[in-house]
Amino acid sequence: MESFTRVVQAAALACGLALATTAFAVEPQSGAKAPVQSSGDAVCTRCHDESESKPILAIYQTKHGVRGDSRTPGCQSCHGASENHLRDKALPVDVVFGDRKSETRAQDDACLKCHKGGKRTRWDGGQHQANDVACTSCHVVHAPTDKVTYKKTQAEVCFTCHQEQRADVQKVSAHPIDAGKMVCSDCHNTHGSAGPKLLKMNTVMETCFTCHAEKRGPFLWEHQPVTEDCTNCHTPHGSNITPLLKSRAPFLCDECHDGPHDSPNAYGPGAAVGRQGSGGGYGDRSAAGRACMNCHSMIHGSNSPSGAFLHR
Amino acid sequence: MTTNIDRFTFSTIAHAVRYALLAMAAAPLVATAADEDADVASLTQPTSSIEVGAENVSSKSAKFGEYNGLNKSGAAFIGNIDLRGGDAYQSFQGGMGTTRWQVRGTDLGTTSREIGGTVSSQGRWDLGVSYDQLRHNITDSYQTPFQGSLGGNSLTLPASFGVIDATDDGPVGSGTQGLTAGQIAAFHAVDVYTERKNTSFNAGYRLDRQWNFEFAFNHLDQSGAKLISVSMSPDALGNGAGEKTATLMNPTNYRTDTFELAANWIGERAHLRASYYASLFKDGYHSLSWSNPYIDSGGATPTGTITGNFPLNVFATTPDNSVHQLNLSGGYEFTSATRLVGGLSYSRNTQNISFIDDPLLTSALPSGSLNGLVITKHADLKLTNQTSKDLLLSAGVKYNERDNQTPSNVFDSFASIAGDPWGPVANAPVSNKKLQVELDGSYRIDKKQTLRLSYAYDDVKRWCNNALANNFQSSDVLTNVPNYYTTTACVQSPQSRENKLAANYRLKAGQGVNFTAGYSYAKRRADFNTSYYNPMQTSAEGLQNFGFVPYFDASRRDQIVKSGLNWQANDRFNLGLTGRFIDTKYDSTLGVQKGHGLALNLDAAYNYAAGGVVSAYLSGQRRQRDLLSSADKSPLVAPGNLWSNHLDEDSNTLGITAKHRGLMGGRLDLTGDLSYSLSKTTYSTQLQDPTQCTDINCGDLPVIKNEVLRLKFTGVYHVDKASKVALSGLYQKLKSDDYYYSAYQLGYTDVTVLPTNQLAPNHSVTAAGISYIYSFR
Repeated sequence: MESFTRVVQAAALACGLALATTAFAVEPQSGAKAPVQSSGDAVCTRCHDESESKPILAIYQTKHGVRGDSRTPGCQSCHGASENHLRDKALPVDVVFGDRKSETRAQDDACLKCHKGGKRTRWDGGQHQANDVACTSCHVVHAPTDKVTYKKTQAEVCFTCHQEQRADVQKVSAHPIDAGKMVCSDCHNTHGSAGPKLLKMNTVMETCFTCHAEKRGPFLWEHQPVTEDCTNCHTPHGSNITPLLKSRAPFLCDECHDGPHDSPNAYGPGAAVGRQGSGGGYGDRSAAGRACMNCHSMIHGSNSPSGAFLHR
Repeated sequence: MTTNIDRFTFSTIAHAVRYALLAMAAAPLVATAADEDADVASLTQPTSSIEVGAENVSSKSAKFGEYNGLNKSGAAFIGNIDLRGGDAYQSFQGGMGTTRWQVRGTDLGTTSREIGGTVSSQGRWDLGVSYDQLRHNITDSYQTPFQGSLGGNSLTLPASFGVIDATDDGPVGSGTQGLTAGQIAAFHAVDVYTERKNTSFNAGYRLDRQWNFEFAFNHLDQSGAKLISVSMSPDALGNGAGEKTATLMNPTNYRTDTFELAANWIGERAHLRASYYASLFKDGYHSLSWSNPYIDSGGATPTGTITGNFPLNVFATTPDNSVHQLNLSGGYEFTSATRLVGGLSYSRNTQNISFIDDPLLTSALPSGSLNGLVITKHADLKLTNQTSKDLLLSAGVKYNERDNQTPSNVFDSFASIAGDPWGPVANAPVSNKKLQVELDGSYRIDKKQTLRLSYAYDDVKRWCNNALANNFQSSDVLTNVPNYYTTTACVQSPQSRENKLAANYRLKAGQGVNFTAGYSYAKRRADFNTSYYNPMQTSAEGLQNFGFVPYFDASRRDQIVKSGLNWQANDRFNLGLTGRFIDTKYDSTLGVQKGHGLALNLDAAYNYAAGGVVSAYLSGQRRQRDLLSSADKSPLVAPGNLWSNHLDEDSNTLGITAKHRGLMGGRLDLTGDLSYSLSKTTYSTQLQDPTQCTDINCGDLPVIKNEVLRLKFTGVYHVDKASKVALSGLYQKLKSDDYYYSAYQLGYTDVTVLPTNQLAPNHSVTAAGISYIYSFR
């Protein structure tokens, strides 16, 4: 009878537990929260838990949340000891990130004390730092995905401030930024650089050659403006004139040539546009279509011994 | 017994009920805890996802699918994956693991696919591999009579094609207007595209707190072709005059290997990075050859006949080249307020591919290859100080040099340009160096106001470091154009100096209002070599008209005014307005005279509900440029020969984005995105002497107008915690009016241009897709 009693009691307990375990079955992470409460972050996460409107705890998905890495910061490493806040929750923490919060310098110092060197070597005095842009103006530290580090979403972060470039990339001729195949950081080092316009290489040319190595040469026959700066002719963010040209030939060429061959010639619509079947000088291969580049097509340089005029 | 039984019954049932009640009472509490844990897990644990589906593209368009891989009509596969894991994600649960891995693939069903994986032990090492494909669809309306595959380097015409007898300025119906029925029938359509395939590998190793090493390798494989025009002169019979052209497929059979190896050292006060960078470019071809079907009989009976196949013309494709670069950069912190950063780079860029054998050149070449060498040097140094938190000072200097040490030689040219005498030409390896000095001070007047002043000085020097190129001139020059120049130099502006001053003001006006204003003034003074002669040209062709200066060389004055206003009315509404005006004036008798640019941007965002936001922007851009030139190739430009060209470009862009999450009880998220862009470019050429004006040499060109409307829509329905169904739609319409294409139509008036029948990339395409997204942790 005693055994039977124990069996019935055990069965009752099992039924009760079975009911209870349905809750456990939803997520197998029960009790997982406890360990972190014993870490240094506990002083913060006791209050700033999963109920926060902003995903504070998502930082544990990021590199800043990996406790096994001895360099990993705690909450107070970045936000400061914040003793006033611990005494009175109405008072802010020492360093509040984001616009209109702590001073930009204080925000940046919290990041740069660890993120020294590398791509950030020239942050101090760079265009972004000098214009009061903070690290958190672009980066989101607590979210599992930092939009500015992903190809498909980076440009929308940059376009928040760079609206002219946002309009440019929608023009008929553009790099594949809109398709998510190219990002601003393919050309720019936004953390500061030795090049112009925060380009990631030392010069415009070196930056363009990282993808367009076929235009690097040196060529037997060089085109001087090409050796100095691609942006003499191209506008890299977008153009109404394909391919990414500042202007349409022959007028683009006329900006630098007035003497050789047909370059002194004035061209009106009859020459530059031409008409089907019309005679009398209508339509001129030096002015219509590719214009000068109908013949002088090796505009980036030629390595043919017979290519002195950049036409071979 | 009864009592015992009763007691047993009571006791057993009581225990059972007690346990059951206890367990049931505890269940909601446990469930609540489990819900909390689910919330915590959703925040702290990575979510992986797999998306599969299909989409349909309504019609074929190379422009619609220019970069997104949707250039063909019909069905396409939707495939995206994002898988993440590793014990580093157990940190919140108290884990001390550092391993993290990710496999990510996007657009797997298109030619714009990308897939990659990373694995790392944070703080110790990391590895990554990736594959990225991008097909650039250039045109699907190109036609050519040449036979040869896309990406090949031999384009031929069958002997039965027959010659094209084309004379410059020939009558209507002659030359390429008078193609025979057989020749027209030989035209066939080719979809022209280039394809890039990047395969990358990167690795990092952290030795200790101070040292870490990085390695990156990328192999870029390019295939396909771009369009290029070629001139065919002399003609197929060897007659030199005239310029006959055709547009061909230029193969992009390229391989580029890029390496970077870097060592980083970080100390308490200093940090250094030393790296080696190499880029090795190889072209699978050295040349492109094609059949030349042109003869130039000058309207008379042809003086020769072509027997057998057409003669082949040839040009050199882009040569193999390599760059090896050493870099050193670093910084030192004198105090927490004073820091010094800088860098040094040295690179060698070489090219020594054998010259192609061009049958048109009969003289011996001075060398078998270029032996090209360009040395690039860079140095920069910047000192910043913020002793007072209100004052930030910086001073910097930069130096860049491109020293082209390629030898110069004299080559024989052939009579490719009508009317110009045959003559020797010399290659002119050009070099330049640029020194920049920058001083910058930013002062916070009070908590609301900041003023920044800066000064910059640029000094640019250019030269040809080879005596032959620097002093070469054709013996024809002085003969043909007496007293034009007496000595020569191959660089027109050997030096220019620019001073630039800028002031910027920032105001935090309170009530969420931020205001910025800035002004800069720059003046460039250029020296000119009045004996400039381009040695790459024969006869008088190397000379510019007196007083003409290329715009990038010219003296100029540049002013920029910019301003911005941002109003964060509350947590829900933000409004921003920015503007920029540029005014540039060139100090040149002939050449670009002035330019203006104006840009205005209006942005607004409104969070109308917890899960809803709508944002809109409007951008307007205007650009103008005035050019003055002369039709007279003479030392003294006659006023009657002057002509001007005015460029006016307008672009307006509108964008509206709306997002709403949590519809239908939290199950439906909607995103809509509308953008509209209208760009117009016009050119107007005017003669100083209007009596000479004809439709050929003066007047307004048709507007180059491109109008793009795009509507994107995405709806995601959350079936349950793990499953989502996404519906997506993209409609794009491009209306393009561009006179560019008229030049290549059959029957076009220049009888020496072979048609391609290319069309403006007008399209109206819809892509609609449905996909299933499975998410899991």
